[in-house]
Order: sequence, then C-alpha cells, then structure tokens
Amino acid sequence: MNSLHILYQMARADFLERVRRYSFLVTLAFAVYLGYSAYSGQVVLRLGDYRGVYNTAWLSALMTLVTTTFLSLVGFYVVRNSVDRDQQTGVGRILAATPMTRLFYTAAKVASNFAVLSAMVLVLMGAAIIMQLTKGEGAVRIGALIAPFLFVVLPAMAVVAAMAILFETAPILRSGAGNVIYFFVWTALLVAPVQASLPDMAGIGAFMNSMEQTVKAIDPAWKRSFSLSLGGGDFGAAPSRTVLWQGLHWDAQMLLGRILWLGIAVGLTALAAVFFHRFDPAYERGRKRQEARENTPVAETTQLSSAAAPVHLTPLPAQARRSRFGRLVICELRLMLKGRRWWWYAVMAGLIVASAAVADANGRAGVLAAALLWPVLVWSQLGTRENRFDTGALMFSSPDPLRKQLPAMLTAGILFTAAVAAGPAMRDLMAGDGGAIAAWTVGVLFIPTLALALGVWSGTSKTFEAIYTVWWYVGVVNHIRGLDFIGTLPPSRAPLLFIVLTLALAAAAFAGRRARLAYA
Amino acid sequence: MELQIERVGKRYSGDKWALRDFSLKMGPGILGLLGPNGAGKTTLMSIIATITRPTEGTLHWNGSELAKDPNAIRTVLGYLPQDFGVYPNLNAVEFLEYLAAVKGLAATAARRRIEELLDLVNLSDVRKRPLGSYSGGMKQRIGIAQALLNDPQLLIVDEPTAGLDPEERVRFRNLLSELSGERIVILSTHIVSDVEATATDIALISQGSLVAHASPEELLRMVEGKVWEWVLPSAELPAARQSYLISNTMHRADGIHARVVAQSPPPQAAPVPPTLEDAYLFCMSRHRAGATI
Repeated sequence: MNSLHILYQMARADFLERVRRYSFLVTLAFAVYLGYSAYSGQVVLRLGDYRGVYNTAWLSALMTLVTTTFLSLVGFYVVRNSVDRDQQTGVGRILAATPMTRLFYTAAKVASNFAVLSAMVLVLMGAAIIMQLTKGEGAVRIGALIAPFLFVVLPAMAVVAAMAILFETAPILRSGAGNVIYFFVWTALLVAPVQASLPDMAGIGAFMNSMEQTVKAIDPAWKRSFSLSLGGGDFGAAPSRTVLWQGLHWDAQMLLGRILWLGIAVGLTALAAVFFHRFDPAYERGRKRQEARENTPVAETTQLSSAAAPVHLTPLPAQARRSRFGRLVICELRLMLKGRRWWWYAVMAGLIVASAAVADANGRAGVLAAALLWPVLVWSQLGTRENRFDTGALMFSSPDPLRKQLPAMLTAGILFTAAVAAGPAMRDLMAGDGGAIAAWTVGVLFIPTLALALGVWSGTSKTFEAIYTVWWYVGVVNHIRGLDFIGTLPPSRAPLLFIVLTLALAAAAFAGRRARLAYA
Repeated sequence: MELQIERVGKRYSGDKWALRDFSLKMGPGILGLLGPNGAGKTTLMSIIATITRPTEGTLHWNGSELAKDPNAIRTVLGYLPQDFGVYPNLNAVEFLEYLAAVKGLAATAARRRIEELLDLVNLSDVRKRPLGSYSGGMKQRIGIAQALLNDPQLLIVDEPTAGLDPEERVRFRNLLSELSGERIVILSTHIVSDVEATATDIALISQGSLVAHASPEELLRMVEGKVWEWVLPSAELPAARQSYLISNTMHRADGIHARVVAQSPPPQAAPVPPTLEDAYLFCMSRHRAGATI
C-alpha cells in the first residue's frame, strides 16, 4: 500500500508539473484539432466505395482508429521528455539519492505519461460523443462508444507511454536519433502485425477484419479496401454506399490480444528500468568508451599562481572591435559539427560521394534521401542551443543578436545543407538541368530554415526531428509533389511553393527570436 | 563613463514587482550590490545587461538610452550571469573564439586575448579539453574569461565567486580591483567579504527597492557605536535573539560571545569596531522596520 502511495505521488507530481505548462495546452489543442477533423469530415474511414452508417459503433471505431494511429505518433513526442526534465531541473539527482528503485521510477514516469495521453484521449472521446449526438444516424449506445476506447486505445497508449520512457533511458534511443528511430518503429507497429494477422497495437486489424466481413456479407463482389485518411488526403469521390456495422464482439481472444499489449507495456517499463542509471553522471553522456575517456572529468588545475600575484590584462586595441560575419559563420559551422564520432563523418562523406556517383536517377534520389536524413540531429540544433545549453544570457547580451548571430546560424545551416546535398547538384549542373538546380537550391534553403524556425519557437530539437522525419518520409522518400522539398524526381518538384514556405519560415524564425530578446 | 538608472521597475506575471522605482547613478569603480535572496539583484543585472526589458523607467549609458540603442551598452559589456551554460563539445579556446566572434572581435586580436585570459584564469593546461568535462569551478572561470573577452567598459558579474576555491576567489578579487580603474564594475554577491575587499561603492537592495547607496566607509559610520560584544550563557541565547539583532556568535570557555547590533548596549556588553556585515544587517533591519536609512 505504501509502495502504491509512493508510486501515485511520484506520478502525480510529474503529471501536475506537465499539465501546468503551456505546452500541455498545445497538446490538448492538437487533440481538439484531431477531434474537429473527424467531426468536420476531414477524417474518412472507408472500405472502397463503402462507409459505415454513422451509428455509435462506426463513429467510435473511427475515433478509436484516429486516436491509436495519430496519437501514438504525436503523443510519443509529446511525452518523451519526462526523464530529461528531471535531468535538466536537477530533481533527478535528488530522487536518485532516495530509496526509490529503478523500476519504481520508470513505472511512475510511465504512469504520468499515460495520464497525459489519457487526457488527450478523453478529448477525443468527447468528440466521438458530440459526433454521435449531432451527426449520428442511430441511437447512442454508451457501452459501444466507450468499449473501443477502453479496450483498444488505453492499452495502445500504455505502450506509447512505456516506449517513451524506454526511448529516454536506452542507449542510442535516448539521443536525438531516438526521435527519428521511433517513426520507423511506429510504422512497423502499425503495419507489420496487420500483415502477419497478429493482434496489432492500434487495433486496425480487428476493426478492418470485422468491417470487411460485414461488407462482404452484403456485397460478395466487393474488392478488399480499407483506408483511414486525415486532412483531405482521401483522394477520389466520397463513398457512395453505406454499410451497417454493429461493432466488434469483445470475445476472449480479442481481449487477450489487448491484454498482450498491456503486457508489452509492462515489459517495456521493466526494460526501461534496466537501462535507467539513476542520473549517474558517468552514463549521462551516453557516448562510446573512447569519448568517455576524452570527457573524463578534468581535475581542478593545481598549479595556481599565488593568490597574491599581481593580475594584469593587456587593453584591447580599438581596431580589434571589428565585426566579422564570415568568422561568425565559421564558428557556427564548427559548433554545429563538433562532437560527432568519426564514423558519422565517414557515413556522411560516403552518402555525398554516392549521391554524386550513382548514375540512375531513381537510385540517386534514394541516396539523396538517405543523405538528407543522416544529418537530422545537426539541423535540429539550430535555434535550440541557447535553450538547451543555457547560453542565452551570454548570446543575447552580445551586440546584434538578431541581425548577426541568427543570420550567421542560418548561413552556416545553409552551407552545411549545400554540402550534404552536393552530389546530385554537381550532376545536375553538368547536365544543365535548370529545374533540378532550382528545386535543389530551394531545398537547401528550406531544410535549415525549417529547423531554425521550429527550434526558435519550440526551444527543443525534438520538434524538428519529429516533423522533419515524417515530412522526409512522405515527401522525399515517396516523391510526393508539394511535400518533396528538394525535388528528388522531376514530377515531385515544386520550388515555387517551397521558396514561399522558406521565406515564411525565415520570417517566423526572426519573429520568434525577436520575441525572445528584450531589445532587437 | 556613466550608467544612469532612473525609476526602473520590473513587473512579472500577476502583480509581482521584482524591482520598483529603482534609481542609481554609477561612475568608474566597483559597485557591490548586496541584498537577500529575491531582493531583485539578478533582475536589475539582467535589465542592465539588456536581457530583460524593464516595465517602467529608463537606463542611459553615456547619454544613450538603452531602449533606443541597446548596442551602445552591448558592445562595451562583459556579463557573467549567475547561471549560465557552455557548449560541452567545444574546448575552452573554441568556446571563447565563438563568443569573441559573437561579440564582434577580430580573429587575431581575439586569439591573443584568449591566450591571456586562459592564463589569467588558470585554464591554459586544459584548454583543449571539452568543456563538458570541466568541473563547476572551471566552468565559472570560463565564464569570467568570456566576460572579459572584449575588454569591457561595463562589467557585470553576478555571484562570480560561486564555485571558486579560496585562492581563486582572492585572485578574482584582485582582478576586479585591477580592472576597476577605468571601468564600471557591478558585483552582485551574497558574500559580504567579497564586497568588503573590492567595492568602492555599495548598493543595498531589498524587496526590489534601493535601501542605501553609499561608500563602505559611510555605511560603517552608520553603525559606529552600535556594535557590541556580549558574553552570555548559551542557554540565554534564544531569548537574546528575540530582543537583539545578533550578527554573529562564537562559543568560548566563558560562554557565548554574541555580536550585537543595537542602538543601546545589552547589560555588560563592550563596544567593538563594526564590520560591513554589521552595517548590512543594521540597514536591512531598519528597512524591514520601515525606517529610512
């Protein structure tokens, strides 16, 4: 009982600390947006030409799938800062000096994450009820409305909550790379079990099979098709036919599948505890052995000159105070690139060379895509360093922080991006492909500007890492016009759109930094 | 060279004023800023360092108004904040080169200056080690070095000796004294002995208001004849604390030797020469009681 009380108090303190932050309101706003999207018909669940009659079962299934698919991605990034916050605030060291066990700590953090995600789920459940009341085509059945949230959504959120803690404690995953890796984990979690006919985290398989059987029963010639789209991405005519679907049957096998995911959440929590090192500074860096040696704490220098020895500083000549923008850009570049391991540079160089060497356009686009993902942690520093390393007071009390330092940072980002994407550009230049060069130029401007704007406004590298990875996957890897910011293939190029977007982002970055400064 | 603060106030969210109606005029020398926690010292320093915009009032640096021309002060400013971070992957030289570039210093002059400063703060031996491996005291010394990079005319140091060992503290005090001749140094600290050793002027601040602005000698004169040493049994100390302002106590064979700041002496107490700490406590207690200093 006492243990449960301690667990409750730890989770409660963490939860209260979060919900009293401005960012929690933004989080809830996202949930409201998702709910509104579903309500206003921007979220479409269809089976080819069919949609379900808007009864309780169908609307609840729609909101459940929206929640488990989209919230399992966004929610992860929202809650993945709990351990880090204890690290940053120093509270972690205090907790580490108490009898608290590692499992206790990770369990409390998972519980707090779960509570935050549940708050978002509640908003979406509210949206389902409003939809049923305003657009419903049948009587409200409270049990049928709540059951999918209870049996499908909550276990999924428990997994996300535990995954977020694992991604804060496990080596490699706890670095910024974890934000990128999770996107691929999330994709695999949604797709792989469905394809293997296993119980999936989001419950897609269960809903899909049940709905497909219902359609097949009334239309044996119907071709299998199931899609859930958000924000008008559901191309083609609206479903013209309806099917009456009465909901899932919560039999033992289905409930066992959901309990399995709860078990996975518990397992992930335990695994996170294995990696959690109680804020021991020796593990905080999470670097390899050699780097750990390099960063072994330096002993205080002992050869101090006598305290009574006279101290003198040579006055600085007046001509020394000459501003050098180029020098500042070089320093910013050094700051961006310092601290990476040799193999990081080797892979980067390999990708640059390969992207120039591959003759086939599709192959080159593939290598370029890889080259544009590899340095995501370099870009994500832009605009966030002052916050992350607490150097704002030093930077913002220097002359012209807005007119010199910020442009120098952006220039360094652009130069770095140009180097990263240099391979295909050389080929395009030699081929005289003006369209490709235009798209390339805009892409090179766009990436660091996006990073800077998101960094300045959010203050954390996580925002860019999450948004960019999704954008990169949808736009660059799949060559979707309007989203492929660097125009990997001719049909996906839209330089005009991205130059406008780049200018808007640059303005946003300057406005964000301006707002942070007492004086511009 | 003059820094003028006129009726400056800073209100944070709600109706909490961290600073109110604060006015001060400073010339070359070291101003020691003394006050209890939450008195508004750091807010005042942030305002002067152009980090925070005041809610009301104006600041002028050599006649230029800060709100209209913040660069007038930024180009001549050296600022060591109370809490600051470093970039852990850079070494001392790289970090200082970066800040020199941010401050607009030419590369060659910056390199010479950095060498000199690293010698001064005794970090030459570890200049190539990543800052992430530095101890708290060493980071503080890097902070001192960066504040002096541009040979500032206005040096603002907030709790500069925090984390320094005793020898480095003395050395830093000497450095401040050496630097103070042709510039304005504002030193905020809780350590009265740091101010006692270096300050040419002292500003006492409490609850966001200026309590007193005087030279150390003037402050000491305020408590002259008001400081007593009182020997009493240790059992009587709690009761004595209720009646008198006691600035210090020491256990001795004949009982507790209590240092009392009071207009009239306790029974059998002997007068002793006042210290700046006595003066500080006297002024603060008078301010709390609502009396003018």
